[in-house]
Order: sequence, then structure tokens, then C-alpha cells
Amino acid sequence: MSNAREKKHAKKMRNQPTNVTLTSGFGITDEKGVKHHNGNEKSFHYQKQEPHAGAAQHQQPKSTHVSSEPCMNEQPSKGHCKGEKGKGQAGWRGGHQGATREIPKYITASTFAQARAAEINAMLKAVTQKSSNSLVFQTLPRHMRRRAMSHNVKRLPRRLREIAQKEAEKTEHQKKEHSKNKCRKARRCHLNLLLEFNRRQKKNVWLETHIWHAKRFHMVKKWGYCIGESPTVKSYRASYRAMTNHCLLQDLSYYCCLELNGKEEEILKALSRMCSIDTGLTFAAVHCLSGKRQGSLVLYRADKYPEEMLGPITFIWKSEDGTITTPINRKLWLWTHPTLKQDILTELKVVCQCVPLPEVAASIPEVVLTPPEEKSHIEQTKNCKKRKRDDGEKNANNPVKKIVGDGTRNPFQPYSWTSPATGIVISDLTMEMNRYRLIGPLSHSILTEALKTASLYTGIGDAETLPHSWWIETCKNPDRVAVHHHQEAIFELLGGIASPAEIPAGTILGLTVGDPRVNLPQKKSKALPNLEKCQDNEKVRQLRLEGVPVECSHSFIWNQDICKSVTENKISEKELNQMRSELMVPGSQLNLGHRESKIPILLIQQPGKVTGEDRLGWGSGWDILLPKGWGMAFWIPFIYRGARVGGLKEGLIHSRYKGAPSIPDDYPDCPAGILFATEQENNLLEKYKRHPPAKRPNYVKHGTLSPFRCPWEQLTRDWESRIKAQEESPVSPCSSANGKSDTGKEDTCVVEGEQVPQLTCETEALQDSPGEPEEMMDTDSQGATMSRDTTDEDICGKNGGRAKSTFNVLRNRKLLKYLSAWCQPVGRRNQAVLRASRMHQQELTRATCLSILCSYPRSLVWVSLSLLRKGNPELHTMICIPSKEDFLRLNEDRLYCGPQESKHSDPFKAKARKQKEKKKTEKGQKQERGTAGESRCTKGCSEVIPGLWLGPLPNITDHCSRTLLGFVTQGDFSLAAGCGRALGFVSLTGLLEMLSSQPADKRGLVLLRTPASLQYRFASIIIDI
Amino acid sequence: MAENGEPWGASEAELDPVEYTLRKRLPHRLPRRPNDIYVNMKTDFKAQLARCQKLLEGSGGARGQGGCPEIYIHGLGLAINRAINIALQLQAGSFGALQVAANTSTVELVDELEPETNTREPLTRTRNNSAIHIRVFRVTPK
Repeated sequence: MSNAREKKHAKKMRNQPTNVTLTSGFGITDEKGVKHHNGNEKSFHYQKQEPHAGAAQHQQPKSTHVSSEPCMNEQPSKGHCKGEKGKGQAGWRGGHQGATREIPKYITASTFAQARAAEINAMLKAVTQKSSNSLVFQTLPRHMRRRAMSHNVKRLPRRLREIAQKEAEKTEHQKKEHSKNKCRKARRCHLNLLLEFNRRQKKNVWLETHIWHAKRFHMVKKWGYCIGESPTVKSYRASYRAMTNHCLLQDLSYYCCLELNGKEEEILKALSRMCSIDTGLTFAAVHCLSGKRQGSLVLYRADKYPEEMLGPITFIWKSEDGTITTPINRKLWLWTHPTLKQDILTELKVVCQCVPLPEVAASIPEVVLTPPEEKSHIEQTKNCKKRKRDDGEKNANNPVKKIVGDGTRNPFQPYSWTSPATGIVISDLTMEMNRYRLIGPLSHSILTEALKTASLYTGIGDAETLPHSWWIETCKNPDRVAVHHHQEAIFELLGGIASPAEIPAGTILGLTVGDPRVNLPQKKSKALPNLEKCQDNEKVRQLRLEGVPVECSHSFIWNQDICKSVTENKISEKELNQMRSELMVPGSQLNLGHRESKIPILLIQQPGKVTGEDRLGWGSGWDILLPKGWGMAFWIPFIYRGARVGGLKEGLIHSRYKGAPSIPDDYPDCPAGILFATEQENNLLEKYKRHPPAKRPNYVKHGTLSPFRCPWEQLTRDWESRIKAQEESPVSPCSSANGKSDTGKEDTCVVEGEQVPQLTCETEALQDSPGEPEEMMDTDSQGATMSRDTTDEDICGKNGGRAKSTFNVLRNRKLLKYLSAWCQPVGRRNQAVLRASRMHQQELTRATCLSILCSYPRSLVWVSLSLLRKGNPELHTMICIPSKEDFLRLNEDRLYCGPQESKHSDPFKAKARKQKEKKKTEKGQKQERGTAGESRCTKGCSEVIPGLWLGPLPNITDHCSRTLLGFVTQGDFSLAAGCGRALGFVSLTGLLEMLSSQPADKRGLVLLRTPASLQYRFASIIIDI
Repeated sequence: MAENGEPWGASEAELDPVEYTLRKRLPHRLPRRPNDIYVNMKTDFKAQLARCQKLLEGSGGARGQGGCPEIYIHGLGLAINRAINIALQLQAGSFGALQVAANTSTVELVDELEPETNTREPLTRTRNNSAIHIRVFRVTPK
């Protein structure tokens, strides 16, 4: 309403008599002119003045200060007031009728006129300024509007034309800035599109399925790649179901492959420095070395085990050819996550004593040469249109190639290194292959339906004219043909096996398949297991027991030349469609005959959940390796057979339900993991800061010291010092453990060396008789006397030897096995299990604990936690040790959820308030001193963020009423288990301490508390190995 | 999902735990028809019974179909007991409308022995476990 009135008013003002607009020139024109002017129109003026003055009065609120102040100033100034006196006074009066002021006796004409001019100018400005952002023709009343006014200026009333013209030009100009320099048709032209695509993936490489993903996924730029994070459709539960009952497809082409080529002994010798048999099988494991199975292990910096972890990898050895009897050079592929690649590569180079290979660096694939060409192309097209056509012709001869593989690779950067000493050649095969992962029981039927093994070449003679000469060569070799037939038979058998989990873990099957696009179904369908194939015969049994024989793991994908030729000789989608359209019977099967490509692939079985007791074999599947360029040709057929596609998030869920640590989130001791943690902390902090303090949890009050980061180092350090304090106290270790849990009960925050003995002395008598099971008792008393002697030495040794302050993650399988057994509660049900395992198992005694602790003083253990009742663990949930009282209450009440943490006080509250006030005063006064003081203050202890702990953390283990043991890194409600499940790390020291003090039937029970809650929940620790 | 909750066999003693880790594999599974029910020890008994009843009675008024004329209840190892229990409960609750016919069989289970040392090959060993397959079917009242 007000807007409309204003507009109306503006219009009225616009149509004011010309003298008003003329006065705007008054200030500029000299005095004479003014006089002259006034003299001429004096009579007219006097008549007109009155209504005008009235109008001015209405305007008064707006322009008071503009008008009045110059008047005030001019009052004392002397001047000559002659002819205009009367007129001026009249104007004056009109302006300030209500004001009780002395009427000036005289005024100066020039200054007065100037003041008026300024006034009028301001008024005019207010009038001409548009308050709304509508165009001129939109402000016209309805009856004056005409059709297509925005298009044709001449349809507007003449007085508005000029403004409309200006507006039109303005918008046109704006549009031009935003628009692309080409029309849409030109932009969508294949060649230009490709150029654009190549440009866009300079920084972050696109996978071959990028465009498919970009249409359906939320894409993220991570690790130098564009990766789909999760589908845009709702699919959390659907993808879980796909993993359990159907098939989930993932594009893992961003995984990096490093190839080691050299003598077997040399490679083994070099690599043995980077891994340890303690953590599991190494590169030298027999079944892996033969090339029959895939292996996985954790790499360390050379000779640094158990410190300085580099990252987890999987590896495959190329199987030795049965036909060739001189297997001198072996090939080994290491598959790593892109975040770990650089570290591992540099370490490999060190271990193998490698230098870059100059010749290989020069002969880089020609694909990389496209960027300069593309640049020149664009420049030329800009210059003139005529040359564009020429350029197009030129380009037709030398078309821009689509970047296949790694487009970011610098041509002058070597990707192959050789070692003169050992003869090992390391090459970086990143993006040279595609890797897809099929998860779920239906992956067998999808694979067998989508892929058909290549037909053998039977024709003779015209071998040279065909593109697939390598296949013709192999078909001439009877041994190769036999292997191919064998592989084909085994592949067919797969269709009859209901789940990939029934095949030995890590089985490798090489295969050569035909073009999967040829037998693409008309419609998307769902591949179901074929009942006819499901015969339980001897062959299937053999496959289930033994896996694939060694000779069948051979694949031509190991041969770079063949892969290159396969990539180059791919029939393009366009040609294929052309041929399809030329079929006699539309929709019938296309028969390419010998022109059909033969693609070497490698299938690797991925074991699902192998550890633990429940859901064995969950999430098992197959990885398929393809030569580059063939990504989409395999992708679409899989999807047409009913595979659901997942992104990074689904991959995370997969590893979480499997109980496996995901890369790089759950490797806090490797460089990539540390980087990830800091990034995550920053993100979470940013998100936290976006909420006002009243709308976000106050973590200080919740007793959460670091809600966005797991302070592993401090956790391990605190536990170490805590144990040391106990050791030094002159009581038997057994009772000191009991005493410690008592201190927890009494909510004492700090356990000091002096405090412990008093408490323990009191409790010793109480605890001895009812508390401990008998077996524990006698072993403890034995161990205690023994350990007293050793510990002192150990501690001395520890103090001397420990130079680094870093922590590490315990990966020693033997120890983990012990821990796993110790964590199980001794109930009636698993008594038998425990007895069976105890035959080779050490007892949990003080002595064993100490011996473990002195070799691993600062270690973390990967545990999985299962909530007993309610509770939904989150990221960074705290794992705490329950007190005796909690157990009592749990025994009394089976529905007892868990204790509550009492609210903490916020010591930073006053500080935060002070800072806020200071900021306020600063804003008001803008004192320079204040800011300096403030900055000095904040520099010292960083800015106070209300709700977060400020400055260095205090002892984190006993900040709350329950002693802190570790943190959860992944946690959620598990659809698979039907309760809250979490994965995380606990301190080894703390775990041993807890286990030895807990009653046997409640062993392994912990409390979980999410960062923004005061409620503890019971959970049981499971260590799967 | 059949439960292989059979307690560890006597063969366990022969295994050298220093050299091998035992990994049990799931039993071989045939493609599942909609009227197959695999009984396990983890799911609540009542829920499994209700599932069978639902299958037999059909999905209520929405479709108006009578449900499956027959269902197969499979139980393996420890779950045999429960499978029989479910079948008998079904029969007892049906006022003579349902009959049961049981079959027993032996299922071969595969255990994988994962080596702990580099020099050893992974082994698989098979053991047998008994299973029961109960056909619960509707008889037309005469």
C-alpha cells in the first residue's frame, strides 16, 4: 500500500510545474540569472507559491535537516536582501509555520537559493529513485499497459521511453555476462562437450561413470577425484537390503594400483621390511604367492613396526604361467586407497632403492597432449567465425580424445621407477583399470547373466585385417584354449552358487569376455538365480572347498599391451547403435562375429564378515577389474540386471556392518587418518559455530572435553601415567585395581598416588572374600609377587626407550586373540567355548597384563560394541568403565538403562560473558587500546567458543564420574543387528585394567555416552579377530 | 538363514591353534522359494511362529487369497528342535486343518582353516550336521 502511495506521489511530483524542476539549476546559475528569472515571473510565482508551500510542508519530515541546517548557518551571515525578500520570507514561513523562531531580518539570496536548490535536489532524488525493483512498464497503470511492452519500447508512453530503453540495455548487458559464448546447440555438440568435460576434470579426475553418477548422485570432490557420495533418491534401507538380499554395485575405480615387477625373492625381501608376520599373513603367504588368492595386510614404514603405520592394502600376485617354465619376473599389484598412495609409493621407492625411469616418462600416452590443442582451438574460435569451420575440419582429422584414465597426470612426471640394485620396477597404474564392486548374494547371477565368455576364434587366414590380433594368437595356442575353457566352466558354475560367501575368501578368477553391450536386455530386469544351475554336484563342491585352481586365475589384464589394444579397439557406442538399427529384425540379438571385442577381466572374491560369531559372510561379493575405457560398457549391463548403485556412504555402511575399519577414517595412526581427523574436526566445528549458543549443546556442561576429535594421544598418555601412579603405590597390584574402581564409585576426580593406598587398604579386606572368582585369586597372588620384580625394570626400560610420544594401534594377532577371549563374559553358556579356547590361551593375570603393557605402552585396540538395551551411539561417543555400583543396579533391575552423568559447571561462562561485553563496548567506543588488549588476551588462549572446552585439555580419563576408556569412530543403529552398534578404539592399558577388575560374569561390559547427552548406556565389548 | 549353532566338535582338539584359525562358513543355500522358512535360534520363537501362520493364512483381507497351501520349515543343527516345535504348534492351533510331514537330511558344512604362518596353505574341512525339513500343508476337511 505504502509503496503504491509513494509511487503515486512520485508521479505527482514528476508532473509538477516546470519551475520546480528548473530551480534545480538555481544553485548553479549565477546571481544575475536568478534575479533576471525572478523578475520575469514574479507575479506568477506569488500565485503559485502557496500550494507549493503546502506540498513542501508535507514533505517536511523527510527533508528537515537538509533544509534547516543551511538556514541556520546562513542566518548570521550578512548579505543583501532586496527584491526577493518578500518571496523568501513567504517561502520561509511556509516551511516553518509551526516553529517558534525569530524571523530573520534579512537573508542572503545566493546562499538561500543554494540551500533551496539542495533541498529541491534531495526531493527530486527521492522522487526519481525507485523504491521497488520493478521495471518502468510494470509501474504503469493497467489501462495504459500494452501487449509486448517489454519487447518494444515504442509501445510505452513517450515520457517513459528513455528510462525503459536504459533498463532494457542494462538487462541485456547483464545477460551477456552470464551467458556462454556459444549457443546451446554448439555447446552440446559432441566435440565441444568433450573439450568442456576434459577441462572440467583437470583438477579432480572423473571416473568413467562420472556422467552417469552426476545425474543420480550427490557428487563430492575428494582425494583428487569426483566421487558419488550417495544417491539423490532415498535409499538408506534399500541399499542395506541390496547388500543383504540382492546386489549393490559400487565404482571403486578411484582406488590406486601400484605394480611391482621383478624377481620374486627381491620383491619379497624388500617388502618384508614393510610388514610383519605379527599382523597376519604377509606377501609371502603360499596361497597368495601362487596367485590363487588375494591377500590383505597393513604396511608400515620400513623396519618401524609397530610404529609409523602407512595404511592397509590388498595385493595380488600374478600367477605363474604354467606353460612358461622360467618365472623369473613376477608381477605384484598393490591396491591402495588414494589418500595412502603417496606415502606408500615413496616408502616403496625407498625400500626397493628406486630411481625414476627416464624413457618411460617420455613415452606418455598421447592423450595428455590434448590440453594445449584444446586451448588453441578455443582461441581460434574466438577470433572469427570463418576460421572456426576450418578448424573443425582440422579437428575432424585429429579429433580431440576423451581423457581415458588419469588426465591429471603430468606428462613430465614419471610414473615408473626402476631400481638398478634390485631390478624391481615400480609403476603407478592409477586409473589404468576400472574396479567395480558387487556386494550381495545376487552378484553371482548378475555376473553370469551380464558377462558371456569370449567365443574362440575359428576362422583362418584373415587374421591381419581384424583388430583383435592378440586373441587370435591365443586361440592358436592349445594350452591357452584349454585354460579358457576351464575358466569358462568355472564361471558357469558360479551361477549355481547362491552366495559369494560360499567360495574361499579372496579367490581370483581370470576371464576373457565378449562385449557385454551386445546382449543387453531390452528392459531393466532383475537377474535371479537359476534353479537349473543349482545342482549340488561334485564340481560345485570342489569349487566351494578348493576355490579356483591356480591356472584359472590367469588373465590377460596383466599384460599392458593387450589392455591398450583392447581400449583402443573398442567399438564406440555410436557404431554399435548404428549396427543395431541396421538389424533385419529390430530388437534381435546383434551378432558381431569376429569383430566383437574380447575383454580380459579379473574377478576377485571379497569375503564379507569373516570375524565374529554372527552374520558370517555378510556383505561378501566380487570385485571386477576391467581395462580402462570399458567402464560404461560394463556398468550399464550390470544395472540392467538389477544391481543397485551405492556411493561412498553406502561403502561406509558396508564396512561398518562388516565390522571392518574404513579407510581413512579408522586408521588414526597413519598420516591420512590424522589428516582426515583434522578435516573432520574443522567441519564439525564450523557446523557447531553456525548455531547460536542457546541452540547447540554446551559440551562443557556435558563433561565432553573434545566432541569433534578423538584425542588418542592424550588418552594413551593419561592411561600410561595413571597406571604408573598405581604401580608406584606400595600395594599389591590386584587390590590397587579394585581400589581404583572404588574411587570411580566415589566420584573422586583425580586419582593420585597418595590417595590410592588409603582407599585400597580399606577395601582390600572387603574385596578379598566375596569379589573375585577363585581362579583369578590364586593366579593373581602368584603373579603379583612375580611382577613386582619385573615391573620396576620395565618402567625404567620404558622411560629410557620411549622417545616418541606417539600412539599406535595394536594389530598383533596373537595379543588380539587373547584380548578377544578375555573380553567374553564367563557365563553358563559360553563356558564350553572358553574352556576350549583356554587350552591354548593364557590366563588374564597381572603378569601377562604387565608383559603386554611394557611392550605396548601406548596402544589402542579396535573394538566393536553392541548395546545391551537402548541407545544409539554416534560419532565420538565416549566409552567408559562402569563402576561397581552400576553392576549392582544392573543385577537388581534388568531394565536398568545406565547411570547418568551429573551436570558439570562451565568455568568458561564468565570468561565468555566478559568477552562478549568487551566486544560490545569495543563496538560502541571503538577504542584502539581495547582491541589491542583483547587480541592479546585471545591470542594466548584462543577465542572462547561458548560450549566448548578452552585451552589444553585436563586429564581426560577422569574428567567425568566414569573413567574414560576410548572413543567411538563409527556408530549407528544397525539394521543388521537390530540394535545400536558402534566401532571404535579403546586404550589397551585401560582395557586390561578394566578387564582385570571386573567380575567374570560381567566382563567386557562398558558404558557409552554420546557427546551431547548425560545418559550412559550399557554395551558389551567384542574384539573380533 | 539356518543356524549352525552346533557346539564345537571334538575335532577341535586336533587343530593346532598356533598355525590355523578356524572360520566357519555359512551352509550351502539353495535359492529360496517364498514358502520356505529357515528357522534360527536368534529370532524370537513367537515371531517365527507368527511368520509361518501368516504365510499359511495369507495376507488378510487385502487380497483375499488363502495364502500358501503348504510351507516348508527347515531347521539345522540346534534349530531342529525349534523347527519341530513350530510345526507342531502350527498343527495344534489349526484344529486339524494342517498336517505335517517331516524329512531329515544331512547337510555338509564347510569350515575354513586360515593359516597363521606364511608357509601353510589354507585348508577346508567338512563336517556333517543333521537337518530337518518339515512340510506343513493344508488338508481339505472331508
